[in-house]
Amino acid sequence: MNIEKGKITGQQLLFLIAGFVQGSVLLIDFTVGITEHQTWMVILVGLAVSTPFFLSYVMLAKRFAGMNLVQINDMVYGRFLGKVVSLYYIFFFLLTLSFNIRDVGELYITFLMPDTPFVLLLVVFTATCAYAVSKGIEVLARVSHLFVFIGIFVIISTFPLLLDQMDFSNFLPFFELPFGKIFQGVHIVSSVPFGETVVFLAIMGSLNNTEHVIKRTYSGLLIGAATLLIVAVRNIAVLGKTQTIWTSMSFQSIRLIDIGTILTRLDFLVGIAQTVLIFLKCSLFFYALAVSLSQLFGLKSYLPLILPLAGIEVVIAATVFQSPVDHAMITQNAGIIYSIPLMFVIPLLSLLIAKIRGLPKFERGKGT
Amino acid sequence: MFRYIYRKIRCSLLKNIEKRMHQDALAGKNNSEPIFPDLKRNLEAIKGILHNSSDVTIHEFNFGHDRRFKGAVIFINSMADKGEINKNILEPLMYGALLLKKDADIDFTDIDCVRKNLIPITDSRKVTLFNDLIECLLAGSTILLIDGSKEALVINSGKRESRAIDEPVTEVVVRGPREGFNENVNVSIALIRRKIKDPDLCVEKMIIGDKSKTDVYIVYIKSVADPKLIEEVRRRLNRIKIDAILESGYIEQFIEDSSYSIFPTVSNSEKPDRVAAKILEGRAAILVDGTPFALIVPMLFIESFQSSEDYYSRPFHASIMRIVRFLSYIISILGPAIYVALTVFHQEMIPTQLLISIAEGREKVPFPAILEAFLMMFTFDILREAGVRLPKSVGQTIGIVGAIVLGQASVEAGLISPIMVIVVSATAIASFTVPAQTDSGTILRYIYLVLAGLAGGFGVIMGLLVTLFHMASLRSFGVPYLWPVVPFDFSSLKDVFIRMPLWKLKKRTKVIVYDGSDSYKRNPG
Amino acid sequence: MGNKMNLPIMKLILWFFMLFTLSGCFGGREINDLEIVIGIGVDKNESAGNILLTAQIVKENETGGTGKDGGGEDKAFWNVNSTGNSIFEAVRQITHKTGNRLFISHNQAVIFGKDIASEGLEKYIDFFLRAHEMRPTALILIAEDRASDVMDAKPETKKFPAVNIEKLVESYAFTSHLYKVNMKDFASCMMSDTKAPMAPLVSVMQDKENKDIYVSGLAVFKKGRMVGKLNEDEVRGLLWVLGKVKSGVITVSSPNEQGSAVLEILSAKSKVTPELKDKRIVMHIKIKEESSLSEQTTTENLATDSAFERMQKASAEIIRQEILAAFDKSKELNADIFGFGEMLHKKYGNEWKALKDNWDDLYPSVELKIDVESKIIKTDLLKKPAWQSEGGK
Repeated sequence: MNIEKGKITGQQLLFLIAGFVQGSVLLIDFTVGITEHQTWMVILVGLAVSTPFFLSYVMLAKRFAGMNLVQINDMVYGRFLGKVVSLYYIFFFLLTLSFNIRDVGELYITFLMPDTPFVLLLVVFTATCAYAVSKGIEVLARVSHLFVFIGIFVIISTFPLLLDQMDFSNFLPFFELPFGKIFQGVHIVSSVPFGETVVFLAIMGSLNNTEHVIKRTYSGLLIGAATLLIVAVRNIAVLGKTQTIWTSMSFQSIRLIDIGTILTRLDFLVGIAQTVLIFLKCSLFFYALAVSLSQLFGLKSYLPLILPLAGIEVVIAATVFQSPVDHAMITQNAGIIYSIPLMFVIPLLSLLIAKIRGLPKFERGKGT
Repeated sequence: MFRYIYRKIRCSLLKNIEKRMHQDALAGKNNSEPIFPDLKRNLEAIKGILHNSSDVTIHEFNFGHDRRFKGAVIFINSMADKGEINKNILEPLMYGALLLKKDADIDFTDIDCVRKNLIPITDSRKVTLFNDLIECLLAGSTILLIDGSKEALVINSGKRESRAIDEPVTEVVVRGPREGFNENVNVSIALIRRKIKDPDLCVEKMIIGDKSKTDVYIVYIKSVADPKLIEEVRRRLNRIKIDAILESGYIEQFIEDSSYSIFPTVSNSEKPDRVAAKILEGRAAILVDGTPFALIVPMLFIESFQSSEDYYSRPFHASIMRIVRFLSYIISILGPAIYVALTVFHQEMIPTQLLISIAEGREKVPFPAILEAFLMMFTFDILREAGVRLPKSVGQTIGIVGAIVLGQASVEAGLISPIMVIVVSATAIASFTVPAQTDSGTILRYIYLVLAGLAGGFGVIMGLLVTLFHMASLRSFGVPYLWPVVPFDFSSLKDVFIRMPLWKLKKRTKVIVYDGSDSYKRNPG
Repeated sequence: MGNKMNLPIMKLILWFFMLFTLSGCFGGREINDLEIVIGIGVDKNESAGNILLTAQIVKENETGGTGKDGGGEDKAFWNVNSTGNSIFEAVRQITHKTGNRLFISHNQAVIFGKDIASEGLEKYIDFFLRAHEMRPTALILIAEDRASDVMDAKPETKKFPAVNIEKLVESYAFTSHLYKVNMKDFASCMMSDTKAPMAPLVSVMQDKENKDIYVSGLAVFKKGRMVGKLNEDEVRGLLWVLGKVKSGVITVSSPNEQGSAVLEILSAKSKVTPELKDKRIVMHIKIKEESSLSEQTTTENLATDSAFERMQKASAEIIRQEILAAFDKSKELNADIFGFGEMLHKKYGNEWKALKDNWDDLYPSVELKIDVESKIIKTDLLKKPAWQSEGGK
């Protein structure tokens, strides 16, 4: 039946989702280049827009309780088409994981440790991810709340430290930007942090009971979105006009903290929090990838796939983009296109088909 | 796939080995024969089995009216209490029997009869097999053999030298009882019995060790402990096949969950109040004869930070001390690593003035920072190890020499920078605040230092993540190691980082107690 | 799960170590290999190369302990010069003299010479924003003459001139005669369409043999080129409007015209409301200030209601004059130092689009309506001045 024997509780799922969305804090910086001081608005709208899609994922998981993404696809679309759809998802996980790993590498190369060889960073990071995934989803879920606490703590503690440098009139010309830009911003926000939660379709199969799952997962999403919002607000208030020129807003805001002689130079703290959160995100992707792939091939356990997948990921991450500029361009423009069907269309379609066909029907013995 | 094949082969090999060992055990000592009714033959057999050891004393005597019956008392010279033997075994048999009427209804060849009517000793039992006889003899008991009887009487009259009950050296407290366990396990169990006068306190005896036949007792409270836990403990203890159990550490290494982890999953203690407190929480204690250290299972990571003193002092002070212990543990494993990472990779994080001071201090040092840190830490470990084995007479001198030579002189000579000395000393002192984790702390410290030296802050973060995941996946007898922090349980956090007042700590540790019992009440220790 | 993976784990660990050790060095720099820079000066160079870069580097004493400055000319820093066509090139050229790369994370201040400022800073400021070691909290200053002279002046109290300069700038609060500008603020002003960037001025005064550093006034830029400067009173006028006056001294003549009363400013608040009416731009400025009577040079007892009222009126008038002086200067330079353009933008988003292109023409026509409320709230330790009272008052 299921490859993974561990079970996770609803509360752990909450923290997993919150941590996952928080891991995208740095990715907001892509949007800021386009939407400037209206980013907070864009986040809120993006949250509203992606809510129905998110709920569709949860409903799907609730309907097919205990079943994996691949199994769901098999049931809904039939053997052949289901496998094609699953392959599409797996391809998406593979690519996004390598983008995220590359993100971490770029974070360090640009800000914190610039002379380190890039590949080394990638390898070490991916190896740790692989180790974490080999322990199973249960351990990951148990540890997730620690990461979320760290993230919230860092982000909330930097807010008051920057209060005296904040200028809330920076928000002021509301509704200044043309609608086209806002639309693009909303599109990016709803697909990159919020849409990527489609990966949880592969994880919610390990829930031990699906009773309050909607309430719990949505709270997780809200916590994550609240964090993103606080960060965006802080950056806009502190940096004002100069937001659009820096590569990473969060780091520059943190570098401005200068209280007494002790609370200065805290950028590494933020670096730690970011690393840890992106680590959670990457582990979840990695886990989903390994489990889906092994389910597709009918293996008994996903453990043997971990090392080869890690190797592939490192190679892709090291070679796919030439520079952060390339990265930004491609994710802003092309990345959105190929992920639209995955995040928005297919789960809704699956739900619809399942409702119409009255799935899942366990008596038929299909996909169990 | 290869691992699958590898595992299959290993499994079958192990089965073969076990079968052979079992057969050996059976074949080797064919002592499971019954005792002969003939006294002379018995004595010959015993002398043969014990290879005529000189400290085995065999005393033959006659008793009964007309000196009709022959008997023998066998004991190990140094272990038996001869006064006891004379007064309570030989006297009643040799003299007391004469005082009886001639036709008294006593059959002197029936051990039971003799035991109940003539021998005024409470602790005695009957054996019929040679195996048991030799075992009891070697354990210090006195054997009474009577010609014509197929049974022997084992009388536990041994006196035993043991240390006086003293304050344990490794767990010193300011406030609290100063008794400690003894090498004599009976004394230890007595101490626990005095603390827990509950009828549900069960003491199960097992004998482990082929040649040492050490007494091992499992102590637990039946209404509170999880039966599955006790079953598991029994199972693991039964699995042990070893020549001798010299210390509880041997048992610990056999029954622990993960031998390859650096974190201990079985805790130990020398103090009866601590052990009693843990038993009351639903854990099981394992007491081993010959060592004052008792084992307690299961173990949680946070227990290393809890000392029994916390519960005897008032909550605020205890909470602060707990927090101090946590912080010192963190300092002790991360101290040198963070220092090296900051000064080699992330100099922009240090305030300017401090950076200049550090730079000035390091001006003359010829080594790179990581090597310097490594040398200092290694020297400190050498000092610590040597300090344990120093004869008391030179202890003070070496202490002073160590401090002056290593501290002052190296700095003056330009081998070490002064800040490094401070960092490493602080680390070392901090590592003594959490005694249960000194071994894991030492290893972790070196690992993080190496990671910091190679990859700076990034390396340390990755190392921390790997450690976290390792600990989170560790289980001690089925209980998650990092409970209640990692499988998050908010209500049980009352006793982890701070210590809430006793009247708030009403519930026992949920994970350890038997689920179905109604023992979610009353204070734990 | 950990028990079974013994052999593979050993191999993995071994492999990691090989990876680490064979990849070479990873960006770790020993502290003693750093050249810690605490101040940078940029000047124009007449001969070879465009720029003369002066870097003030910390020199570590070898005596293994601080505070032993010793006698003689034992300086804790040294100034290194180099030339180049761009800042980054000059920075790397310095390694010819120092042997190690500069470490500019701890840079306290960047000082631009007047010649560079007059030419236009936009060519030179990019490096300081882009370099990942630079922090946006570094201060930016303009030297009256050459930045290298400023760097040479040895201070009395602090070990390094750059730290001294930073301390002087931070103390702006005491007189409100200058203002602290860091890199981020400067860049922010540069990015704005209308607001004029500013930076404090630093000059060297020769006093017998000692060279003293004196920081006062603000240089005003228009689109990166220095076009003028504000003197101390004008700076304070600017700060009144921005609400950044923290403390200072106002001297008013006493009511009986025989001396003066000196007021210490305790706090000041300002509120600026822009108003756009039929193409007329009016700025309503409301200032609330509180001060205390700190010194008086007459014998009259000023601690009376009537005296207070007159003094308050007088100080309000002085404040008004300062603001007007600043505004007049800015009109003369045609530089929007107050940020009125941005305030209009924030309030009247739509209309601003039409206005912003003509801002240079519109700016001189801006009207100010100033309303100052000044209060004296205490008189420190004396109730009356220490004179014989002649028939008491």
